[in-house]
Amino acid sequence: MPVIPSELVRYSPAPSALEITNKLLASETLLAESDVHLIEVVDVLKSYGEVLDAYSKNLIYQAEKQFLLPFPVFKFLDGDRSLAKIWRHLCHDRINFEYAEYCMKAMLWHGTGGLDVYLDSAEFVKGISLIIAKKKRDPLLGMLHPLFPQFLPELIRTAATTHALGQFWRVMSDLFIDLAVAEANGTVNSIASVVEFIKAGLVAAAANPITYGVQIDGENFWVLPPQAGLTFLVDVAVPYVEAVFLRGTPFLGTVSFNAQAQQISPDQAQFAYGALYADPLPTMGAGIPPSLLMQDMYRHLPQRLNNLYQNRTRADGDVRVKICRSFQKAMFCVTNAAIAGTFPHGLAGSNPTEIAADQAYAQAWAQRLAMGRTDCLAI
Amino acid sequence: MMLSVLLLIPLVGALLFLFLPSKLAPTRMRGIAIAVLVVQLLWSIRLLFAFDLEQSGMQLQESISWVEKLGLRYELGIDGLSLPLVLLNGVLTLVAAVCTRELSERPRLYFALILLISFAVNGAFVANNLLFFLLFYEIELIPLWLLILIWGGAQRVYASTKFLLFTALSGVLILAAFLGLAFISGSVDFSLSPVVTESIGMGTQLLLLGCLLVGFGIKIPLVPFHSWLPDAHTQASTPVSVLLAGVLLKLGTYGLLRFGLCMFPDAWAVLSPAMAIWAAISVLYGSLAAIAQKDMKRMVAFSSVGHMGYVLLAAAAATPVALMGAVFQMVSHGLISALLFLLVGIVYRKTGTRDLEVLRGLLNPERGLPFTGTLMILGVMASAGLPGMAGFMAEFLVFRGSIQTYPLATLLSMVGSGLTAVYFLLLVNRAFFGRLAITPIDNPDVHKLLDVQLAPVAPRETIPALALAIAVISLGLLPASLAGVSDAATGSMAQLFAGVG
Repeated sequence: MPVIPSELVRYSPAPSALEITNKLLASETLLAESDVHLIEVVDVLKSYGEVLDAYSKNLIYQAEKQFLLPFPVFKFLDGDRSLAKIWRHLCHDRINFEYAEYCMKAMLWHGTGGLDVYLDSAEFVKGISLIIAKKKRDPLLGMLHPLFPQFLPELIRTAATTHALGQFWRVMSDLFIDLAVAEANGTVNSIASVVEFIKAGLVAAAANPITYGVQIDGENFWVLPPQAGLTFLVDVAVPYVEAVFLRGTPFLGTVSFNAQAQQISPDQAQFAYGALYADPLPTMGAGIPPSLLMQDMYRHLPQRLNNLYQNRTRADGDVRVKICRSFQKAMFCVTNAAIAGTFPHGLAGSNPTEIAADQAYAQAWAQRLAMGRTDCLAI
Repeated sequence: MMLSVLLLIPLVGALLFLFLPSKLAPTRMRGIAIAVLVVQLLWSIRLLFAFDLEQSGMQLQESISWVEKLGLRYELGIDGLSLPLVLLNGVLTLVAAVCTRELSERPRLYFALILLISFAVNGAFVANNLLFFLLFYEIELIPLWLLILIWGGAQRVYASTKFLLFTALSGVLILAAFLGLAFISGSVDFSLSPVVTESIGMGTQLLLLGCLLVGFGIKIPLVPFHSWLPDAHTQASTPVSVLLAGVLLKLGTYGLLRFGLCMFPDAWAVLSPAMAIWAAISVLYGSLAAIAQKDMKRMVAFSSVGHMGYVLLAAAAATPVALMGAVFQMVSHGLISALLFLLVGIVYRKTGTRDLEVLRGLLNPERGLPFTGTLMILGVMASAGLPGMAGFMAEFLVFRGSIQTYPLATLLSMVGSGLTAVYFLLLVNRAFFGRLAITPIDNPDVHKLLDVQLAPVAPRETIPALALAIAVISLGLLPASLAGVSDAATGSMAQLFAGVG
């Protein structure tokens, strides 16, 4: 049996938790500095931004216009029910809005942060009672509600999470497209400046209020009222990162787990199936798409990044794997920015208590990140 | 003259290579070889149209006196037993030439030897004279030995020498049987005429048939004479494996039916219960040995040992349905094993290994070999005898034709058929499912981070395999096409056996 050619298998060592901690405390970027990395991150975020724009619009449309609709058959059409649009939809010439829904469900299921607390509060139940009373006039809902009293509240929680995610992605979409513009005009020219740009964007939007109201028969109702005091960063962005980056993301077809073989922890907080942990290589048989998101980003791939991919491995043949790897690099930058922006204390300080608190914060993050696909950070 | 032309096409082609300039690019030489083999295949197909399906005996016969004192006559003829094998040879030799790639060493000799093998195999199938058959039987030995010795793997000297010794012994035993027959009958007429043994005592018949059984048993190969085959396959290049499994093993089963069953039906009736058990042992041993293999190619090679056992079972039963099954099994095994060896060759070329403890996830749609994997799944399904493919029809006919005569041996062989599914599912599960990898799992944490970058398989590389896969399905869906060709001949052979039995 001949020796397997070394060029067929590449291995990039993943950094240890200690190395990650040191980088975070030294304000260094997790992703190595290189021109290729800059192109990958900026361009993949640009395509992601364009996709998020579509996701965001659709999620907000669903939450506002398809609210408590028993059979939301046209929910992905954004209100355009022309034959041409339906035909394109059926031919799958469209964005995979299902991915956005899966992310929303991940947020709902893994519920952390202020949004989840509010959705479980008595204040929320009281607020939606008016909506339910109004909707009970619908014969189907009127029959279902007495039989399953938790049904409508759960649907409204789903709609609230959908709208909140739509609002979050609205901000992120604009931020990523602005990043591409900044890189094009030379303002952003390194990985460090990418992280700084994202951090600044997150900080600027941190206090944005998250509200959600619906109109039923010409009457306005609040689902997430301004009085709830929900804000962008703490109540939506952080739970989103927890749910989708860390705990679980629907990168369909990348890997499968066997719950009966104890491959899945019963403790949700121990889940590590998020975007930062996903294997870019799809597993199992031919025909399963590696990820709906990768397909969507492929449709919006900037020419520069496409040219880069054409010269690597199988050109278009494995482009979704390459997009996934670039996406993970970009998401490590976003996580890097989020961590940098949420340190308990300024890293330049000299107070031993504050330094210890920052170290503990960095170590906690490093422990979680070290289990991820950090092999992409060096190359 | 049609059969002479069939022989002349590859022979002239082989001689042509001797006169080609050595500086000619290997791709050009490959093109010339393919052209010659296309002509040969077309001529084989023409034979099919000239063949009368209603007749059971030899057709298109040619007879010229050659070395009369030795009883060696240039006698050719074709019937429903040999015609499918001639067509199979035409197809698979062409496939072998098409799938020859990256040949840098002595391409002139290589293609000349391929053509010479095709010539010899066709000669053996259409020879109507015992010595003439033996001449062709021995001629194919030397080119194949050279093909393994020169273009084989690291252990090629060992494998080719083993092949040479076993097959030479096979030839000696067959020659001994033919000469013994002439000596005992007092005739130097080696013409192929059925039931020439009426005047020979049963003991002598058993001895002569025993020589033929062992001689052809080595070639088939049957357990325990099989050990040369896995080594030869492992060391041979893909095209040579295609020829070896697809065509050359059939010389053994063909010889057994043509010379064993047709010439010694009395002795055949005596030995057939033992042959049926021998067949079952061969099937079970081949299947169990295949399960234990870690090398994909050795696994496919051992599957050949098992599957050729079905032909012996059918020959032992010698009912019309069983003999039809034997012909189907020869053709379907030729197509399926060639397909599997082609696909294993692609895997080896792309990954550098055939080790089932190393390969994983080759069905990966992005970076694996998904189309090759798809054809592999189709191939193993056909080999396991799933309905709708050639293997099913062959095994069904063999079992249906043998169950009443030898129920125990048939049931044991059916278990072997089930084991085929076991080892091929192991192969597919290990090499094609899971996360893509071509390295042993020493450290699972590192293993899941490996970035595997296999070169894609170009569509042209899979054309021969695709063609064979289509043939496997076509034969499975339209078995009447082959049955029509062989029905009269196998029916006549069965009558011969039934007459004396």
